[in-house]
Amino acid sequence: MMLEIRKLDTGYGKKQVLFGLSMEVRNGEIVAIIGPNGAGKSTVLKAVCGLIPAWNGRMCFDGTTTNGSTPAQNVARGITFAPQGNRVFAGLNVMENLQIGGFQVPRKELRGRIAQVLDVFPVLKDRAKQDAGNLSGGEQQMLALARALIARPKLLMLDEPSLGLSPNLVRSVFGKIVEINRDTGVSILIVEQKVREVLRVCNRVYSLKLGKLAYDGTPEELRDDKGKLKELFL
Amino acid sequence: MFSQLLVNALIAASIYLVVAAGISLAYSVTRFFHFAHAAVIACGAYSVFVLHVWVGLPLSISALIAAPLGGAVGLALELLIYRPLRRKAAGPLVLLLASIGAYVVLQNVMSLAFGDASRSIRPTSVQEGLPFLGARITCVQLISIAVALALLIILLTAFVRTRWGKMARAVMSDPELASVSGINVDGVILWVSFVASMLAATGGILQSLDVDMTPTMGMTALLAGVVAAVVGGIGRLPGVVLGAIFLALAQHLSTWIISTQWQDAIAFAILLAFLIFRPEGFMGKKVRETTV
Repeated sequence: MMLEIRKLDTGYGKKQVLFGLSMEVRNGEIVAIIGPNGAGKSTVLKAVCGLIPAWNGRMCFDGTTTNGSTPAQNVARGITFAPQGNRVFAGLNVMENLQIGGFQVPRKELRGRIAQVLDVFPVLKDRAKQDAGNLSGGEQQMLALARALIARPKLLMLDEPSLGLSPNLVRSVFGKIVEINRDTGVSILIVEQKVREVLRVCNRVYSLKLGKLAYDGTPEELRDDKGKLKELFL
Repeated sequence: MFSQLLVNALIAASIYLVVAAGISLAYSVTRFFHFAHAAVIACGAYSVFVLHVWVGLPLSISALIAAPLGGAVGLALELLIYRPLRRKAAGPLVLLLASIGAYVVLQNVMSLAFGDASRSIRPTSVQEGLPFLGARITCVQLISIAVALALLIILLTAFVRTRWGKMARAVMSDPELASVSGINVDGVILWVSFVASMLAATGGILQSLDVDMTPTMGMTALLAGVVAAVVGGIGRLPGVVLGAIFLALAQHLSTWIISTQWQDAIAFAILLAFLIFRPEGFMGKKVRETTV
């Protein structure tokens, strides 16, 4: 089991957002978290990567309990996170963004890893010296994915990778996600609002409603049951 | 007369530059104006006074020890005040108020220890200035300019070329993204606080080589530094150079037509004009707020 969450309670300040949430990600899976706005989807990713603490419950990554770990410790364990909104280091160039993704990688290995990642995202090769803030939305999303892959994670978490992208770019980004999963075997936990697209690529799906688990099953079941899908978003 | 004004502006710009670079760095990683920087400026000057006048060390050695001592004061402020407040989710306003409090405490401690009367580390004999660009300049003033330029080159190189510099720029750009990229953001804030405070202390030392020191000397230097940092563009070191030169030129060339006592008013008029018409400064970028 790559990630196991059991009875997780957490939130921001005094406001509780997740209530006794349990879910898991197995080795090599793509798992989607869907649900309406304010359901707590992004909060799950923030808790797993260590940005916010677990109040109760247990998070276990690759056999190790990660409650109380810092984001840096979790990156070292093999968890990387690409936050919502094409987040890149805008004042740094593309190459520097990739180097930052590999700060925990031994220096001798870093150059080779950057070359490998650039082979996956050839569009970034031509932009290596360009400020990341000047890239298009699609290129920024590719850079965000590339940065998260430099550390060769065991679990890659993506928060709405399609946000703000045109339909063509959304297809391209999801294509890359499937390619990365197939070629590297990395487990992927993805939060997404574009349900139709994410159901095409994931192996299993969880749906949250007001911080609680509302559905746990396969994408095929949801695709075939339009009524159920509608109910999850009401 | 005109060339002397230009040289005077250059000397002032060198001190503004050192102080403004520190303010700009500290603000970029912590996102609040660190008012206690003013006390660190005075700490630098008084540390040299203690080491040189009381202990009897040579002036150059005293200055080399005093600058990291100022950095240590910045480290202590970060560890004892700002970091605990940030852990309690304090916002920029609370941190700003805390830094004003820290400034008042430190300034009063210096008043208690050294008195409010001015102190000096300058040689008692009057030195004739050397000819420089058609004007006169003293050796100490030349050293000020050289130190400021050397520090600027070291800083720019470190921030572009080194791993630590790139980590600092990442935290300046997006601290949360830096954190989930595996960077120890608290560690970066700590060492940037040290470097920024060392720059502030160096600004105080350079100033005290030219004029007498008082416990409140840091506030005037801080305000000039803030104006230079805002005018240049917060977080942009090349912009800070432009800001420092622009402010110093405006203040000194204005003495052609108005009295020198209006220099502070000119600085604040420039600050207000930039805040209203070009808040990003000469080289800053308009940024959009993002949240995870």
